[in-house]
Amino acid sequence: MTEVKATFYRRMKDLPSTHLLGTGTPMCSGCGGLEALHQVYDVIGEKSVFVNAAGCMTLLSVYPFTPFRGSWLYTAMASAPAGAQGVRDALDILLEKKRIPPEENMEVVVLTGDGSAYGMGLSATSGAMERNLDFLYICYDNEGYGNTGQQYSGATPHAAKTATSKGPLGFPGFKKDLFSIWAAHKPAYVATVIGTEPVDLARKIEKARSLKGPRMIIALAPCPPGWDFDPKESVEIGKLAVKSGVWPLKEYIDGKVTHTKIPRQRIPVEDYLKHQGRFAHLFEPQCNDALINEIQKKVDDYWDEVQKTTSLDKE
Amino acid sequence: MYRIRFHGRGGQGMKTASRILGTAFFLQGYEVQDAPRYGAERRGAPIFAYVRADETPINERGIITQADLVIVADDSLVPVPGAGVLAGVDKHTVILINSDESPEVWKQRLNISGKVFTLPVETEDRAELRFIGATCTGAAAKLLGVITRESLSQAIEEELGDLGHAVVEKNLHKALTAFDLMKKHAGCVSTMEKTSAANYTRPAWVELPFEDARISAPSIHAAANSVQVKTGLWRTQRPVIDYEHCSGCWWVCSTFCPDGAINVTEQGLPDIDYDHCKGCMVCVAQCPPHAIHAIAEEVAQAEEAKGGQA
Repeated sequence: MTEVKATFYRRMKDLPSTHLLGTGTPMCSGCGGLEALHQVYDVIGEKSVFVNAAGCMTLLSVYPFTPFRGSWLYTAMASAPAGAQGVRDALDILLEKKRIPPEENMEVVVLTGDGSAYGMGLSATSGAMERNLDFLYICYDNEGYGNTGQQYSGATPHAAKTATSKGPLGFPGFKKDLFSIWAAHKPAYVATVIGTEPVDLARKIEKARSLKGPRMIIALAPCPPGWDFDPKESVEIGKLAVKSGVWPLKEYIDGKVTHTKIPRQRIPVEDYLKHQGRFAHLFEPQCNDALINEIQKKVDDYWDEVQKTTSLDKE
Repeated sequence: MYRIRFHGRGGQGMKTASRILGTAFFLQGYEVQDAPRYGAERRGAPIFAYVRADETPINERGIITQADLVIVADDSLVPVPGAGVLAGVDKHTVILINSDESPEVWKQRLNISGKVFTLPVETEDRAELRFIGATCTGAAAKLLGVITRESLSQAIEEELGDLGHAVVEKNLHKALTAFDLMKKHAGCVSTMEKTSAANYTRPAWVELPFEDARISAPSIHAAANSVQVKTGLWRTQRPVIDYEHCSGCWWVCSTFCPDGAINVTEQGLPDIDYDHCKGCMVCVAQCPPHAIHAIAEEVAQAEEAKGGQA
């Protein structure tokens, strides 16, 4: 068993009151990805190298400005984990040759959107896990290619309207289960987080920081322009995603998946869907009950399965 | 040739507005160019869109520096240098601006002698703001005087048809209302006389030398130097903390603020950094004792100018 020491973050009050990530970024107002990232950055700190695949967040560091306090490297969309390998190797060589003291070592962090993580960057990520690269991977998942106008990606949920799925039924495919794909590689750590559950997020980043090897995080990122809602709803929609069971908060460690927050009384998925313009066609002009029920059933089936496996654990 | 420049903020639909106007010109038999221009910034950031229309083929390319008609969908852009609203404006240029303040106020404030028209803001409801593009296009079509009601309607149906009947209807209503509103000023936009480089006279402006690079350019190796970018300019609504009702649970607003623009004072109270707050209003929605209120940015600025506490 990997030993994990008791968490520093027990309640909201323990969260940092000063924020390390600089303001003044070009991220959209109400960005759920930036919300998660600034919370993540407070835990990781400035001794870090961010290796950023093309996406919304590459705009964080547009010359000559950057919100980061440490280093940042830009890579092509499919190759951020390969970039991270290079940076990690370089740091290891410098450490070994004593050209930098141990206290100048840095955490190598891959930062990509879902387009890269679920799709075109997946093979590079698989390779990095295979090589047991010591890195942290943060995917901000806004369920589509948001930077270019929300075309569908491997993370787009069933029935959502995107720039490339405009029909009356929305996106015909299903959201890829990246958590399980990653966990199947048996890396040191995999977790799902969301900026609207900051204590859960801080604990998971803290835990990931205490481990070695590939540590993989997926943050659901409510996206005002891509999901079509008023920016002020950003946190509320994230909370609804968790309460409805659409976004399960869980972690994989030592071959075991644990749910860190099981909604006691799940609210209907409808309450989550109806707040977002990308699902408006499920409610107007007529309510598409069949499709809503299909989405609800997927969520129910998931949690039934969770129930079964958790009760098995107890036996 | 007609040269028309749209100014708006990302998300207000200026790109679509320019497309609708371009299509309306096209349906009217014109040769047309329409193109948006924006940098890496998106929602809330200054956006430009250009339309050229002529009876003969258009060989001119690129951005429009001297426009016959300048359309400003958001009056808070006027003082933003990066938005360049006043670029190339002279007495010939007609300015159409979405503002509650009168044309006279704008003429005096900006010291311009050309025609200024305003489209009063109808509502504070942010959901209605998404139709501002249609309103601007409708008014512009009438000011140009060469676009008929029919062409304008058809252009809207063609460009927005994908979004469904209800959206088309709403935009048609907005555009045609604005079209009719400008009836008295139909055709007041004229095309510019042909200019030639040979008889160009330099404007009588004062040349300022550039600052030394060490002063004018930020240090690119500095940590978190993005704070030099004042994203507070994006804001159309301002969150204001009512400290009498604030219960001091900073860990809610300060953590949820996507930009990390809520600091915590030594007394343990949240303090909003208005230089960087983009006005998403997440804090207003999430504050447990409802102690953060939203007020219109222009009202807040007017109160500040009066010396009052905003």
